[in-house]
Amino acid sequence: MADVLVCVENLHVRFRTYAGVVHAVNGVSFDIRRGETFGLVGETGCGKSVTGLSLLRLVPPPGEIAAGRILFNGEDLLAKSEAEMQRIRGRRIAMVFQDPAATLNPVFSVGEQIMGIIRHHQAVGRDGARRRAMEMLEAVGLPEPERLLRAYPHELSGGMQQRVMIAMALSSGAELLIADEPTTALDVTIQAQILALLVELQRSRRLSILLITHNLGVVAETCERVGVLYAGHLVEVGRTPDVFQAMKHPYTQALLAAIPRPGSHGQPLPAIPGTVPSGLERIPGCAFHPRCPFVMDVCRAEKPPLVSVGEEHTVACYLYPQGDCHLHGARA
Amino acid sequence: MRRWEYVIRRLALAVLVLVSVSVITFLIARVVPSDPAAAWVGPRPTPEQIAQARRELGLDKPLYVQYLRYVRALLRGDLGVSVKTHQPILRDLKTYLPATMELVLFGMLMAITIGIPLGVLSGAKRNGLLDHSSRLVAIAGVSMPTFWLGLLLQLLFFGKLGWLPLGGRVDRSISLYNPVQQITGFYLVDTVLTGNWVALKDSLVHLILPAFTLATYAIGLTIRMTRSTMIEVLEEKYIVAARAAGLPERTILFRLALKNAIIPTLTVLGLSFVYSLTGAILVEVIFSWPGLGTYVTNAILNVDFPVIMAVTLVVTVFYVFINLFLDLLQAALDPRVTLG
Ligand SMILES: Nc1ncnc2c1ncn2[C@@H]1O[C@H](COP(=O)(O)OP(=O)(O)OP(=O)(O)O)[C@@H](O)[C@H]1O
Ligand SMILES: [Mg+2]
Repeated sequence: MADVLVCVENLHVRFRTYAGVVHAVNGVSFDIRRGETFGLVGETGCGKSVTGLSLLRLVPPPGEIAAGRILFNGEDLLAKSEAEMQRIRGRRIAMVFQDPAATLNPVFSVGEQIMGIIRHHQAVGRDGARRRAMEMLEAVGLPEPERLLRAYPHELSGGMQQRVMIAMALSSGAELLIADEPTTALDVTIQAQILALLVELQRSRRLSILLITHNLGVVAETCERVGVLYAGHLVEVGRTPDVFQAMKHPYTQALLAAIPRPGSHGQPLPAIPGTVPSGLERIPGCAFHPRCPFVMDVCRAEKPPLVSVGEEHTVACYLYPQGDCHLHGARA
Repeated sequence: MRRWEYVIRRLALAVLVLVSVSVITFLIARVVPSDPAAAWVGPRPTPEQIAQARRELGLDKPLYVQYLRYVRALLRGDLGVSVKTHQPILRDLKTYLPATMELVLFGMLMAITIGIPLGVLSGAKRNGLLDHSSRLVAIAGVSMPTFWLGLLLQLLFFGKLGWLPLGGRVDRSISLYNPVQQITGFYLVDTVLTGNWVALKDSLVHLILPAFTLATYAIGLTIRMTRSTMIEVLEEKYIVAARAAGLPERTILFRLALKNAIIPTLTVLGLSFVYSLTGAILVEVIFSWPGLGTYVTNAILNVDFPVIMAVTLVVTVFYVFINLFLDLLQAALDPRVTLG
């Protein structure tokens, strides 16, 4: 498949803490195609951020990637040296985060920060970096880039800060942008503007975006395909309309139950009876079985594989015929 | 300009502080049971001589008149005369103050060049080998008594190894054959200005032990302070973002994180600069360093109050200006700080 940019196979991430080993990501597989926005949704603590950071090999200690492969343009990122990874970060894979006020360094001006990144990755002098920085700031819809370069982060609004972050992330030509809840900390109207900007940049630069969010409205508006994560397990993957209108997994159904229709703004996740497992104890079988209304004996015994339930639509659940079983995207 | 308003306000405050300090030292000098007139005259004075000295020194006038005279003289730049040596104090200070400043500044330079990198690296690699050893250095530096450390270093580097001189600013042979021409009073500067390289090397060698002894406390403090703020800063999201942007670890530690972490360290360094001015007293005595400390020690032993008062005022001036400088520096480093 030539159009696959990233292929994550059987990713396992764990944290060795004093309380015990936390299994944050348990055998997640998905792929991201060139020029698409892939959404990753799930409740808080389900492993979305850890998955995103894994793609940059930046899982913070005591976390570690325990198993799996992450193919980027066909090359396994997990086999690369730290020096090679440093050349990939920012240059080929970039990331923006939830809280732009905390993600910008408070004691450096916008210009120092963005030009520092440009000059590190590209063979340009001061003037070249300056020109490039102004182009990027304009590309993300910021007026008066000249003046902005001299401004400090605390002088900007939240929306402007996030635009600056996006400009910094994309300043060195990344092909993949990991956006971890990029709009969660912003006002609703600003959220819509930032999402529109991401969609526009994705189209104009043929960018791939991994959009991490717990806001289903955001997914419905921006993502071609979506993966639903539960307690470190990917339970359902498919095209956004299919997943939203013909959701198969009981967890996805519960997630979507309280939402009237896709396209509604800012819906928080509805409450689902039971509690999310902490990751400390390993649940045998399907991770969702203690909360699942359709639980069967087999669910308690063995982890369900992803099965195909439609074109490009797979689900990890024993409710569906198990015949045509495959790991989605694992055959790249 | 807001900054100028602020500076002027702080300077006005500084004048207030100086006036209070001068009143207090003046009163203490008059309350202490020692007779400056007797000291002025010398051993075995006759009553007539003492009465004469009291008139000369103005001690027969009421207190407030004495104080006003003292202040008027101060405003003219006249710090008075030593009751013991009868030398003008200002002239003494011109030779002793640069000696101490050279010692203290060199010590501060050591604290910065040793303390900050060690603090950064041990904060970055917490619980590593470097972290454990530099924490040991830090605790030793903060808790080791100065006089003991000074004697220990003399024993080792002069007594056992013979690598460094015992004390003084330059060797006697230098004073005889390549004397340092006094321009600023800072030997490192004066020797460079006059191209006296032999004396430059010799004064550097003489500086190492006393400056290090004086700086151990500041070095320890700087390591600990930098380490703990670095640990905090390295948890910040902008550091994760800098890693995600592919910036090298060196840039992240020594530029992006350090500029945030260094602000509290600079405050501590500035204050230990002022404390070093008084800490120098002990170090100068141990290393026979002809500076302010030696000067004021002799003054204290001789109950030479004009000298004690003058030195107190000088230290106060430094204290006030260093504090002002630190606040301005903090505002310059951190754009979120507003002066006022
Ligand atoms: N530093 C850490 N130490 C120990 N466990 C951690 C650490 N960071 C994450 N985890 C574990 O990994 C799991 C997944 O965390 P992650 O941050 O990926 O969640 P998330 O889906 O991004 O949640 P949110 O929506 O709140 O951002 C958490 O449940 C937590 O138990
Ligand atoms: Mg998260």
